[in-house]
Amino acid sequence: MAEPLIRLEDIVKRFGNFTALDGVSMEVHPGEVHALLGDNGAGKSTLIKVLAGVHQPTSGTIHVDGQPVVFRNPLAASDAGIGTVYQDLALNALTSVTRNFFMGREITRGARPFGVMQTAEMNRITREEMAKIGINIADPEQAVGTMSGGQKQTLAIARAIFFGARVLILDEPTSALGQRQQLEVLKTIKRVRSRGDIAIILITHNEIHAQLVADRYTFLSLGRVIGSGVAEDLGGEDIRRLMAGGAEMADLEEELATIH
Amino acid sequence: MASTAENGPGGGGAGGRSEADRLKHGGWFSRLVHRPEIGAFSGMIVLLVFLALAAGDVVYNPLGIKNNLAIIAQLGIIATGACMLMIAGEFDLSIGSMIGFAGMSMAIMLKWGLPFGLGPASPLAAFLITLCITLAIGWVIGTIVVRTRLSSFIVTLSFLFILRGATEVCFRTFNGSTQVSGLPDFKQTDFFAALFGGETFQWFYDLLFWLGVNYNRAGEQWVTGFDAKVAWWLVIAGAAWFVLSRTELGNWIYATGGNEEAARANGVPTDKVKVSLFMFTAFCATIFAATQVFDTNTADAAKGNLKELEAIAASVVGGVILSGGFGSILGVVFGAVIFGLVQNSVFYISWIDGSYYRTFLGTVLLVAALSNETIRKRITGGI
Repeated sequence: MAEPLIRLEDIVKRFGNFTALDGVSMEVHPGEVHALLGDNGAGKSTLIKVLAGVHQPTSGTIHVDGQPVVFRNPLAASDAGIGTVYQDLALNALTSVTRNFFMGREITRGARPFGVMQTAEMNRITREEMAKIGINIADPEQAVGTMSGGQKQTLAIARAIFFGARVLILDEPTSALGQRQQLEVLKTIKRVRSRGDIAIILITHNEIHAQLVADRYTFLSLGRVIGSGVAEDLGGEDIRRLMAGGAEMADLEEELATIH
Repeated sequence: MASTAENGPGGGGAGGRSEADRLKHGGWFSRLVHRPEIGAFSGMIVLLVFLALAAGDVVYNPLGIKNNLAIIAQLGIIATGACMLMIAGEFDLSIGSMIGFAGMSMAIMLKWGLPFGLGPASPLAAFLITLCITLAIGWVIGTIVVRTRLSSFIVTLSFLFILRGATEVCFRTFNGSTQVSGLPDFKQTDFFAALFGGETFQWFYDLLFWLGVNYNRAGEQWVTGFDAKVAWWLVIAGAAWFVLSRTELGNWIYATGGNEEAARANGVPTDKVKVSLFMFTAFCATIFAATQVFDTNTADAAKGNLKELEAIAASVVGGVILSGGFGSILGVVFGAVIFGLVQNSVFYISWIDGSYYRTFLGTVLLVAALSNETIRKRITGGI
């Protein structure tokens, strides 16, 4: 297999006495969806924050294109092509789709900060980039607040890709959405995947969603990798067991049965 | 992939239908009622018609127009600053005290000369030095707000008291009383003073005179021009409109007020945006004070009292929402017209006790705030 886009080697992250990540290794390949699964408190959020440059690992290395890198801040990570789409999507619901797409990175003519926005060009790019991953917006000047949850997610993803993300970190993109919206987001994920040049890290609680799109899995529990593999090798039963933190489902069922 | 109505992606492929589409209505009328300034505009038209019927000539004769626009422009200048800051999600309650402070600073210098015994102050020097001081205070206020993350309400409330107190102390220390009066009429002799205290758009009144509607009993031209503050208002509001609607800074201001975390995550320098807007309100307050000082040749420790609340109210009437991220300069222009007109014209309506004007203003404000909320919900889809 080709060189992974990102390789994490033995990442440890401690907050004082608390060890959030205890030697996590994983590989992320372009054109693949890598599902990062685990229960609450497993360390998923810490891991993506390390990748996004929000936290610096206590020890261990991040390799991008085979080269070891250190992300001192989120800007350094995004410069290296790591785009994080957080749950709140970092959108301003009161302004237009275009204004959100180019938030902080407007196409302008003239001296900063009074550069005049090239509205027509920005609208055109917004419409094109959204269409590329499957959302046709009639009016890029409509307020983001009028979009559906799935469309907002797509906007945030399209924006990250347009501004150079080669690795997309999607933090629980399907939570807090209705059924149909969830499917929309999964479709968007598949379209991005089919480009072939972008790696997607999908953080989710939902094993069904993971099974629908993931090529590769990493399971975290209490800060450690308790299982990983490619989709073909993992059965649904394995996935369910590993998601529950390694406990056998049968055990859990037994435990449940003892409570009346 | 199948492109049926069931799974048409988002905005809808061929014949696709989705949740979001249900909100769209399209058409110019819907665009119009989605404009943030529509409420203020309608209100302004109603008020203008009402005044024409109820007060008539006194409001719309040449002098009435001049006087009304002077009040409107004054309010409009500070409302522009307040509105920009509110869109960025912050308040400035120190505007009124800043007006008093700036007026004091200019008047004291004009009367007693430059600081450190550097000789008499020209209007230009008095204005520029004052502007430096007020911009510095605006910077301090903004920096405190962004560094400490204290609510700007509290920080600027503190400066409301601090500046008002400092103004009174300075007046007493340098001048022995809480006012300066009887300054030379600089606007007659000094170009720069005339820029603030003189007249503008004389051609309008020349035209009215030529048309035969602007003469006094002696048959001479009656009103000669608008107050210079009208031009300042138009320039400041025009510049603010341009910045807000056309430039990247405008987008940063909306983003900062709409979702500060998001703005920061996308690389918007939110702290710099806020600090510069606190400096902009200080700038507007200083312009306000200069138009007063050079017009009347007086200054008073009570000047600008309560103006900060009027500026905020005019912004709200103009469609700005208190939580930030939404509003337009055009709306605030209408808001200033409504507020200024009510303030100035209710007194001309013989059958209404003039003192009702505040009651009326309060009602207008409440109605505006309610309708803003409705408009915001319509735009954001109810969040």
